[in-house]
Amino acid sequence: MLNANVDAALGRLLRPSEGSGKKAADRALRVASSVLRFLFLLGMSYVLLYPVLFLLSNAFRAPIDKLDPTVIWIPKHWTLQNFVLADKVIGFAPSLLRTLGMMIPSVIIQVFVCLVVAYGFARFNFKGRDFLFSCVIFTIIVPVQTMIIPLYVNFRFFDFFGIGRVLGLFTGQPVTVRLLNTNWPFYIMSATGVGIRSGLYIFMARQFFRGMPVELEEAAFVDGCGPFETFIKIMLPNVGSILIVITLFSVVWHWNDYYMSVMFYVDDYPLSVAVTGLQERLSLLSQNMSPEDMALAQSSILEAACFVVVAPILLLYVFAQRYFTESITRTGIVG
Amino acid sequence: MKKASAGRKRSGLVARRAMYGRLFILPWLIGFVFFFCIPLGTSFYYTLTRINITEAGLEFQWAGFENYLYAFTTDPDFTRNIVESVLNIVYQVPIIIFFSLFIANILKGDFKGRTLMRAIFFLPVIISSGVVIAILKENVLISGTGQEASLFQTGGLTSVLVDSGFGLPFVKVITDSIAKVFDLTWRSGVQILLLLSALHSVPESMYEAAKIEGATAWESFWKITFALISPTLVLAVIYSIIDYFTDYSNKVMRMIVLNVTQGRFEYSTTISILYFLAVMLIISAVYGLLSKKAYYAVN
Repeated sequence: MLNANVDAALGRLLRPSEGSGKKAADRALRVASSVLRFLFLLGMSYVLLYPVLFLLSNAFRAPIDKLDPTVIWIPKHWTLQNFVLADKVIGFAPSLLRTLGMMIPSVIIQVFVCLVVAYGFARFNFKGRDFLFSCVIFTIIVPVQTMIIPLYVNFRFFDFFGIGRVLGLFTGQPVTVRLLNTNWPFYIMSATGVGIRSGLYIFMARQFFRGMPVELEEAAFVDGCGPFETFIKIMLPNVGSILIVITLFSVVWHWNDYYMSVMFYVDDYPLSVAVTGLQERLSLLSQNMSPEDMALAQSSILEAACFVVVAPILLLYVFAQRYFTESITRTGIVG
Repeated sequence: MKKASAGRKRSGLVARRAMYGRLFILPWLIGFVFFFCIPLGTSFYYTLTRINITEAGLEFQWAGFENYLYAFTTDPDFTRNIVESVLNIVYQVPIIIFFSLFIANILKGDFKGRTLMRAIFFLPVIISSGVVIAILKENVLISGTGQEASLFQTGGLTSVLVDSGFGLPFVKVITDSIAKVFDLTWRSGVQILLLLSALHSVPESMYEAAKIEGATAWESFWKITFALISPTLVLAVIYSIIDYFTDYSNKVMRMIVLNVTQGRFEYSTTISILYFLAVMLIISAVYGLLSKKAYYAVN
């Protein structure tokens, strides 16, 4: 009787303390890991943010602060002058319009076409599929410089995939269109799956489709859905995060594109090319300044322009990353 | 009788599926032929010529395999740079992949300031793919330290490691990777994003089930996370290789660009064709090895 009582009392005494001890250890572990994570991320942020903070700090800095050794990060004299000057030289509005006019349709076309092609590679068996797929990878590897001249000629005398040349047999002269200085080269290459880094997106989407369960498609097939209908109605609404990722990459690489834009545009350049031209134009403008003054004046303006190039995409990413959530299909099937 | 007709039906279905597959990839096939094969073929023809710029325009003079011979026998940099690139990639790619997976795992977790951290780790994708990086390298990294950015000094470490009996090549690999932490983080942006989205697509219910079955976090990482994201890991490995080889700071790529700007288009194309054939060989070997190990819902 007494023994049992003592046991119970001991139990009461021991058990809660045992529980709270474990809890405390758990909490300590959690705190320790979040502190470690914080320190690690802090260090990484320094590595990654350093150039951007440098840009930011210099873009808003008045020239006088550049010479002031007490000014390290935070300027004493804030100014928007650098942006105004950069805008005067390159004209942000027209070049931005150029970029957007090229980018938005290209991205939409490219993402859709890449998904279609990737679906074909992921789900259907046909002769030579693996060989053709390795060709897709090859298109990512070979840079545009390798074929810069033939591609230029191709769009300078665009003959609609040889149709113009066939028509030429009747009219005596090949029917060609000059597509330089228009957005059409970008649209056409995106629509035919060889746009800027299209191969990579095909690869990404194919890996994704291969990881998706087949049950949904089989169900659609049993219900009499054709493959195109299945793709549009079942696969497209369920691609989820991969669509966001591909679109994001596509936007970034169109936005930043340099070589293709230099090749296909003659005078009105998009933003990324305009910024590189800025340096040369600035040195022309400031010819009769001393070299030190020139470098000083230039670097701030350049940094302001760089900031304008980087900021919109960063904002876009902050909004887009919210949609990195579990894709519906997987949860729907597995659960 | 019945069996035969079923067989025919089946083969008809297979043929029809094959046709649909070809239809799906048709847009790409058109682009591949017109904007890749034909231009590349034309470029290949240029490599067999010598291009003279005359008043009438470009003049192509047949030269046979002269450019190729030059690349292998006369050019002092070509073979050396290619071998160096290939050797570098052997240790660079695993480091990039481990690093990206680590970061993606951290960024996946729920903590305060996650959005901000994700934005920060996306910075390299935005910056290093564009012209901004060139300007930054000129203005920021060089003006800041007077030399190419190396945030960590590794002189002390080298002597410690050599003293403790490690071979010099091994030590060099380690110190190189430490000195390149900056470079590394700037190269991992795309891979981190890929892996992050893959990690998010692993259903939470699987972890719950594993936890109930008594799996530790370590086990559930390898058996669930790792297995389910393996297709993306393959993708990330291939991307890292491609990115490393086609990056403009790569020595062979610099040779290619330099020769174009010097007007030696035919030689630049010769280098790039040889180079990208070599890269393609490496990538197919790696892809062949890895995709057997990767887990796919359907094969």
